[in-house]
Amino acid sequence: MAKRIIYPLYQLGNPQLRLFRPTFNLTLVRPGKEQPPDTVQFRIPMEMTKFDVRNYLEKIYSVPVAAVRTRIQYCTNKKRNHLNQRVKRPDYKVAYVQLAQQQTFQFPDIFPEKDKKHEEGSVEEMQEKFMEDERQRQKPDPRRGGVTEWFGL
Amino acid sequence: MAAAVASRLTAAICRQFQRVVTVSSHTQPQYATQALSKFHSCQPRQMYDSWWFRSSMNNRALHTSCVRKGLEEFFDLPENWGEQTVKSGAPWTAKQLRVKSNEDLHKLWYVLLKEKNMLLTSEQEAKRQRLPMPSPERLKKVERSMKRLDTVVKEREDALRLLQTGQEKGRPGEWRRNVFGKTFWYRFREHPIPWYLNSRYKRRRFFEPSHVAPYTRLSLEKYLRSKIRKEKRDKRNQKRFAAMFPKKTALA
Repeated sequence: MAKRIIYPLYQLGNPQLRLFRPTFNLTLVRPGKEQPPDTVQFRIPMEMTKFDVRNYLEKIYSVPVAAVRTRIQYCTNKKRNHLNQRVKRPDYKVAYVQLAQQQTFQFPDIFPEKDKKHEEGSVEEMQEKFMEDERQRQKPDPRRGGVTEWFGL
Repeated sequence: MAAAVASRLTAAICRQFQRVVTVSSHTQPQYATQALSKFHSCQPRQMYDSWWFRSSMNNRALHTSCVRKGLEEFFDLPENWGEQTVKSGAPWTAKQLRVKSNEDLHKLWYVLLKEKNMLLTSEQEAKRQRLPMPSPERLKKVERSMKRLDTVVKEREDALRLLQTGQEKGRPGEWRRNVFGKTFWYRFREHPIPWYLNSRYKRRRFFEPSHVAPYTRLSLEKYLRSKIRKEKRDKRNQKRFAAMFPKKTALA
């Protein structure tokens, strides 16, 4: 299914084309620039249109969509690899979706700092302890009051 | 019917240790009705099949709240945020998928799709924050499951088409010879106009010009030569191995 998909030809009077088992993947991204509170930013495949995005979100995720705007981000073909060949970074399409019903969305922090507690007697715990001891040893003498060893006495 | 389907689905699959769900029709009828009313957003997640968790020992409440009207489904469970690894089961195999009905496969496809979207979101955010993504092998598992599901559905479509119409291929085509003398399977496309009005199609020649014919013959000779050489090589090797390892030593 990943090869070039050719959709059936549409002529006036044909029924609406329906896709079962879509292969499109939407990626929610954190906006680079500040966006209004009701705007959600997605990276979508190049073949998708605004109508596709709207139907996708409404039918599969039941998210009420008020407006969709899209743009295509051109990525560089200037970078060169170790063989001096130009390497293209793939282009992608960005969709800005505005939610209906006065809903807001704030991109959450998915990687919060968590205190890792290693189990007793494990290798990681011993390593942590060793690193702590090393750091303590490397600290300058607190009695010198911040003055470095360079100044003798 | 949907309740039975939901109970069968949830009894058969689970995603991780924490979220194993067994919904049997007699114990939790309210989940079945919830599944009926808000199907897409409150579907329990069943991407990975770990059969050893199908027991009724672990029975934790479903995450059925639909806050944010579904945008939460682009992210993992909040308790997994910040973890280094997230546990996940094995991908679906084609053998397991062939047992499922068409409705089950259809629903599973959307479950896998949503999971893939969630993983892609997580991957992009990890790249943005310059942190490692927790358990990137989940992406491969989901992709493989989806590919196998597609294979199974195609098999069923092929079988149905063969039985009903006798056609082997869904898309019509024929053998044609291109400008270089090579014979290939040309698959038809749909056009609104006949071929003799299609100027771009007429520029695409499906015959070999007369000056290309000698090269076709040469490439055919090359192919036959390599085939004969391979057969001779195999025969020679077989004789050599028979001499090196006679049958007497094998039996003894």
